[in-house]
Amino acid sequence: MLTDWRFWFSVPAVLALGVVVLFPTGFLFWMSVSHWILTEPGVYFYGFQNFATLLNSSAFHSAAWVTVSYLVLSTTIMLGLGFAFALALSRPGSPGYLRALIVMPLVIPPVVAGFTWRFLLNGEIGFLGAYLLPAIGLETNLLASPVGALFSIVIADVWSRTPFMFLIFLAALQSIPRDYYEAIRLDGAKRFQEFWLVTLPMMKGAVSVAILFRIIDALNTFELIYVMTKGGPGRATQTFSLLGWKIAFQGFDFGGAAALGVVMVFATTIVALIVFRRFMRSA
Amino acid sequence: MARKPGETIWSDAGRWLMITLSLVFVLFPIVWLTVASLKTRNAALAVPPELIFTPDFDAYSRIFSGGFLGAFQNSLIIALTNVFLTLLLGVPAAYALTRMRGKVQENLSFWLLSIRMAPLFAVILPLYVLFKSLGLLDTPLAVSMAHLTLTLPLAVWMLVTYFRTIPEDLDQAALLDGANSLQILWLVIIPIARPMLASVAILVFIYSWNEFLLAFILTSRNAQTVPVAVASLAGTMSFDWPLIAAVSVVSMLPALVFVGFAQRHIVSGLGSGAVK
Repeated sequence: MLTDWRFWFSVPAVLALGVVVLFPTGFLFWMSVSHWILTEPGVYFYGFQNFATLLNSSAFHSAAWVTVSYLVLSTTIMLGLGFAFALALSRPGSPGYLRALIVMPLVIPPVVAGFTWRFLLNGEIGFLGAYLLPAIGLETNLLASPVGALFSIVIADVWSRTPFMFLIFLAALQSIPRDYYEAIRLDGAKRFQEFWLVTLPMMKGAVSVAILFRIIDALNTFELIYVMTKGGPGRATQTFSLLGWKIAFQGFDFGGAAALGVVMVFATTIVALIVFRRFMRSA
Repeated sequence: MARKPGETIWSDAGRWLMITLSLVFVLFPIVWLTVASLKTRNAALAVPPELIFTPDFDAYSRIFSGGFLGAFQNSLIIALTNVFLTLLLGVPAAYALTRMRGKVQENLSFWLLSIRMAPLFAVILPLYVLFKSLGLLDTPLAVSMAHLTLTLPLAVWMLVTYFRTIPEDLDQAALLDGANSLQILWLVIIPIARPMLASVAILVFIYSWNEFLLAFILTSRNAQTVPVAVASLAGTMSFDWPLIAAVSVVSMLPALVFVGFAQRHIVSGLGSGAVK
């Protein structure tokens, strides 16, 4: 039977993903309950000590706060910009190269995005930080102040990741049936009412998908922050992934870092479930 | 004439203003970086910036003399190996998913999508331990394999969408001619899908080429990739801005290929899993 044969075609891929995703995730849980210091010999069961230490540390609390503020700030700006870009380019017949140009930051290495913005915003030599911003009376070294550094990272991230939202919104906008607009126009709706009563409600599903992927993306953001501020000044831009890297590869505490990894897995799962429940059903 | 979706809120002037602003926002940093890579060290630091200057290619020659060629070589090997592995595993899997029915198919699809949602940080430590015990740390192969976590789900998703559009009648016809499943895939499906496979390959290459965290953790000296090299350059005390800019500009070449081949499915493939 043909179908049976073809089923086996999926086995190598499933096995490969088992090795690089499934097994590691399972192993992470074991690591998180182990006393596992890279520089010390011996790994032993440690119960929930890693979690207790982690959840009580001030570094974790500040990372939670930084991650959430960075997430909220960047997501809000990206949603707005991505929507605006998509509306401007959704008309059939907009040239394809325009779309590709707008999407370009998404295919540039995020390390390069981080470096470029660090260069632009530098308070001594940067075009924006040392020339343009002072020219309009903003004499601050953004990257050196805690709030400024967070904003700098948000700006660079917005530059790098807004195209993803743009793509989701563009696809959604183009799939809204033309008839809906015609129908509401026959009822005498103004442009703004068309937008409010047709476009926005039809975009609900796309917005929730965009937010979901954005949250995952934001939890994964590492190199941008690493290149721009390394988490500083102080802990001002130290998100969960930066903190995890520091615990594992500067403190050599693999158990503690794994505990943070487990917390991140749970956080993502919970958020994903909420978003799915709340929006996907109605969409 | 009925208004189209995009016209609902922007007037024509507003629309073009918006497009212009977004292009300036997107392109300005890229242009600025490119300009900086063509300046001498002192000129790159000048405030206010010199807008008229003689281009200087010294930074690019320092890529060679500074030993960054190895990073480009590593990135190329890693990305190409990853593309090969991804297609080798992903094409049959995607084909199977579109020709299977029922619960198994649904569960597999869902599982593949959910991998896209796992925080990368969750797999990094275990992978580090795994590759360390296999003696594969700091080898291109380890990074290529680790990148499968990102690229394999991406490729399968793009390909599933595409394979669905190939009618099953073709399979049946080939089956009647006496072809087995492998022959059907190799002789019927893959030739039809060739343009799509090229798009997937380009995108997968870019993902692997750009990826930082896995490459950063799994390599130290020998298998260092371009993004890792950029980061370590940017971490040194004596900043050579034009050199970092030059390395960055060269690292954007795959992105330029992407813009050059701006076909619809590459662009929308970036949103794979999100854009159905």
